[in-house]
Amino acid sequence: MTGHRNLGLVAAGATLLAAAPLSAIFERWTWLVESAVAVAVVAGAAALARALRAPLWGQMLGMLAGLTLALTWLFPAGSELLAVLPTPATLAHFGELLRGSAEDMRSYGVEVPDTPALLFITVLGIGAVAVVVDLLTVGLRRPALAGLPMLAIYSVPVAVYVDDVSAVPFVIGAAGYLWLLGADNVDRVRRFGRRFTGDGRDVDVWESSPLAAAGRRLAVLGVAVAVLLPLVPVPGMNGSLLDSLSSSNGSGNGNGRPGHGGAPGKINLFAALSGQLNQSEVADLVKVTTNEPDPFYLRFGVADELKSSGFEVTNPSGRPANRELPDPVREVNGVEQHQYEASVEITRDLDMPLLPVYSEPVRTDLNSTWLYDDDRQIVFSNRENSRGKRYSFEYVRSTYTVAALRSARKLPADHPLVRRQQTRTPPAPEVTELVARLVRGKQTEYDKVRAIYDYFSSDNGFSYQLRTEGGTSGADIVDFLTNKVGYCQQYAAAMGWLVRAAGIPARVAFGFTGGSNRSGNTYTLTNRNLHAWTEVYFDGIGWVPFDATPAYGVAGSTRSTWAPDTDAPDPLPDQPGAPNATPNPEGSAGAVGSEREDRDPDAGLSLGAEASTDQAPVWPWWAAGSLVLLLLLAMPALRRLALRRRRGGRAPTPVTAAVPDVGVEATTGDRMVVLAGTDADRARADAHAAWDELLDTLIDYRVPVDRTETPRATADRLVRDALNADTDAVTAIRLLGRAEERARYARDPLTGDPLAPALRVVRSRLATDADRRTRLLAAVLPPSVLLRWRLAVADTSGRMVTVTGQARRRLLRWNPRRLLADRAAR
Amino acid sequence: MTQQTWDEVGGLLPHDEFRAASEAIVANIEQVIEGKTATVRLALAVLLAEGHLLIEDVPGVGKTKLAKALARSIDCSVRRIQFTPDLLPSDVTGVSVYNQETHDFEFRPGAVFANLVVGDEINRASPKTQSALLECMEERQVTVDGVTYQLQTPFMVIATQNPIEMEGTYPLPEAQRDRFTARIAMGYPDVGAELAMLDGHGATDPLDELRPVSDAVTVRQLIATVRQVHVADAVKQYAIDLVTATREAPDLRLGASPRATLQLLRTARAVAALEGRDYVLPDDLQALAVPVLAHRIIPTADAQLARRTTDAIVSDLVHRLPLPNDRKRSPYDTRPASGNGRGPYEPRRP
Repeated sequence: MTGHRNLGLVAAGATLLAAAPLSAIFERWTWLVESAVAVAVVAGAAALARALRAPLWGQMLGMLAGLTLALTWLFPAGSELLAVLPTPATLAHFGELLRGSAEDMRSYGVEVPDTPALLFITVLGIGAVAVVVDLLTVGLRRPALAGLPMLAIYSVPVAVYVDDVSAVPFVIGAAGYLWLLGADNVDRVRRFGRRFTGDGRDVDVWESSPLAAAGRRLAVLGVAVAVLLPLVPVPGMNGSLLDSLSSSNGSGNGNGRPGHGGAPGKINLFAALSGQLNQSEVADLVKVTTNEPDPFYLRFGVADELKSSGFEVTNPSGRPANRELPDPVREVNGVEQHQYEASVEITRDLDMPLLPVYSEPVRTDLNSTWLYDDDRQIVFSNRENSRGKRYSFEYVRSTYTVAALRSARKLPADHPLVRRQQTRTPPAPEVTELVARLVRGKQTEYDKVRAIYDYFSSDNGFSYQLRTEGGTSGADIVDFLTNKVGYCQQYAAAMGWLVRAAGIPARVAFGFTGGSNRSGNTYTLTNRNLHAWTEVYFDGIGWVPFDATPAYGVAGSTRSTWAPDTDAPDPLPDQPGAPNATPNPEGSAGAVGSEREDRDPDAGLSLGAEASTDQAPVWPWWAAGSLVLLLLLAMPALRRLALRRRRGGRAPTPVTAAVPDVGVEATTGDRMVVLAGTDADRARADAHAAWDELLDTLIDYRVPVDRTETPRATADRLVRDALNADTDAVTAIRLLGRAEERARYARDPLTGDPLAPALRVVRSRLATDADRRTRLLAAVLPPSVLLRWRLAVADTSGRMVTVTGQARRRLLRWNPRRLLADRAAR
Repeated sequence: MTQQTWDEVGGLLPHDEFRAASEAIVANIEQVIEGKTATVRLALAVLLAEGHLLIEDVPGVGKTKLAKALARSIDCSVRRIQFTPDLLPSDVTGVSVYNQETHDFEFRPGAVFANLVVGDEINRASPKTQSALLECMEERQVTVDGVTYQLQTPFMVIATQNPIEMEGTYPLPEAQRDRFTARIAMGYPDVGAELAMLDGHGATDPLDELRPVSDAVTVRQLIATVRQVHVADAVKQYAIDLVTATREAPDLRLGASPRATLQLLRTARAVAALEGRDYVLPDDLQALAVPVLAHRIIPTADAQLARRTTDAIVSDLVHRLPLPNDRKRSPYDTRPASGNGRGPYEPRRP
């Protein structure tokens, strides 16, 4: 009983440990506390039920009741009796929570906040798992099966995070499972009494035995293989661990794919920029068609959290993008808004959980797996990615007059953006000082922003250059402000930082410029057109884009009336579709102009872009893979066919020499013809082949085969048990038995009777009697071949064990300890 | 008394004649012993295998009748010894007596000087007398007062005995048991056979009307033919495996002797020939394992306590011992686990 109680506690603990991976989903740890309460109540109920010697179903009911009470106490509807006894209202409340959880799951991206609905479904799930684990472990003594419900918990974060999840929680969960298995085994061993070593010493429960040592060695080997195997890059597959390892330190090798897959909150969009300065290949990423004459940038991401390490992307949350989107129309003087529509076609090279749209979309034809974040104005998904996506949307383009922006007042202190600390900056005295200098005397918010914006002009010594260190942290920004050399990333981040330092909400937006490849209304955008810019929030107006990066550094740069180009006339007039003759500072001779322009380094960030040369189509690999798989699956059947063919392929032996009877002859049937020499050998081989084939057929049709039986006994048994008194088959099987018997034991083999037809008769008889499943298996995965292989493997491994054992013994002879012991004995 | 060396057993018989001769003997015996064809054939097989037969069963099931019927069916010299507790070895082997006329000792042959010796109730004699048979059964000779006398061919001892649990019996020593090629049990007749027996034996004893259908010369020829039966290597290996299995079986204190191997194969040859084959099958060995091996082995005390008879132990071994295969190892054994949970017996090979 003590053992059972212990085991119950271990089951509860293991369940909680197995729930560890959920920590990747929640922002906070409330779920763990509440789950622990529920699991504790369940374990208590189970212990109580067992103390009362309740049967298994009684324990289950007890645990379910405990879980219900715990849920009632944790998620009250307000009408409970004594705070824990559920009433109909409680159940209705639970139903609402369940519905709400479905809603929340759709609308929140990971990591999710503590909403009651999500907490409820989590506690309910973990509680249910605790019930099942307890039943399996303590009730049914099958702790290995308890791994299945635990695995169900695992699957949640794995399903939510398409890309990768931290391994640590999974290790914790696995440790819980091992704990459970170990506790159960110790419990089992204890039932036999105390353990002793060979020399009579009492053994502690956790002390290892030689068997356990072997097990540990095996486990270590298995883990090593499991870790090392994925490191080996497989051709045609992009997700090899080596690739991701090398890309994670991502400094400029051109291969980093930071935006590859993953949840939208986990992309480091800046990291994408930093490693891409020298991207040599150009890949088309997006083709967009819009009826807007001169569209602003296509936009897909936002970094809106400013820490000392720079701007960071936060988790978006939103509503399904196929529903009603928020109405961006604002009745403000000086804000002009027009509705346009656009359609986007994404190539297979762009792979990220975000979709580029023009802001601000009002209607899309996306499905409900894509969500729209009102606040960040981005379209994201927790499950899908953009690869090969086509969609269209309608959007409202706002243009602002300077007067309208000037009229915007300072944000009130209780504005959500202010509360969300979008005006906070990490301490950086140089920046504060610079901002204070820039905005001195500026009355309106717009003027302050404009002063900062204008600061980034070439008049102030700022120049565009892509070969710089690509940081956006406080120190990097200060460096940039000092050195005044950088590219879009630093421009956008620095302006965002400065604007925030001036007390105005700002963030960094990511997207594509208009690019240089335009035909009609269609823009083809490449990885060179990726861009970052700043957005500033004005009260009553919304987020207004400012692109501080010098236009000469950006192909397809677009300026607006409220943020005009601060530099001299644009050195790269945008002439879509036409070859651009402007000399490129680093252009190579012979390159087509537009291509040279495409090599524009500002667009260094390539999200999920793969160089087109590496991008061989994937389907041949899949096809080859499936073919190999099919071949592998078909191997047993093919092998069986080959065997049958080889055995049946012999021509009936011609009768060459009939010899008169020698001594005693068979009495059973007709006169036997006795052959001599090679013909006899051949007849013998034929008989053996036929008999082997018969045995294989028997195994295929699940008729038992016995190694202690003689051919005659086997034939008799088949006549008795398997052939259902089918005269043809009986004759056939007797013939086969006699042939094999004579081939094995007589001077002269049996000849004259063709064995192949007999074999066919027996086979068809067996097939008729077998059920459909057996027939199918016999055709597709013949048990005889599998058995052969299994035995071959067992034989080989057995031999290997013997050989290694011998080698080990030989080596042990040279064991210093043993040598010393020998000497001491002498 | 013609002395014939063991090698001159006679010429080979063609298939048909062999068949006719052996069937005639079997049919003749069956006139007396109804419904026991297998037992009768086995008895004949032991004769043709140049062995000795021990018939063991409870009183009254026809042990002596079988022995006498076999003896009478063959026209050769037959002696019968009734073993009693006071029987002396010299009664069996013979004795030298002083002849007044010649003033010399003269050898008086004992009961064993015949082609067929029927020893009735052999376990009622003291072990001393039983042991008198040791030399003559194996070496087919008798040594009395330093003089060795050869026995005739064919020579066969057919002994009957009651199960050793019965009262007033001396169990046969191991050495004596080992000399018997086979031990068979008669068993009770079935209902039909018993009814036929009541009808047939009501008025007269059919044994009296039994006429010989064969003679010593024919039997010698039969024996010679049996010696020619082919034994494949695989069958020899199987015989060795079987006997080795009895030596290694954990249930057995004493396994079968090499003599047992020899006699097992000889009897198998005879059985094969009687069935009209010129080659021995493992089936023959399987069928003969219990009669030939079971009486030679001694179970351990544990096995005796568990009431496992030697018959059961041997037939269990037969059912677990895989057939040797001269071809590459056959992977087949898919029969379901047997009731005792043991897998097939694997012989140890060096």
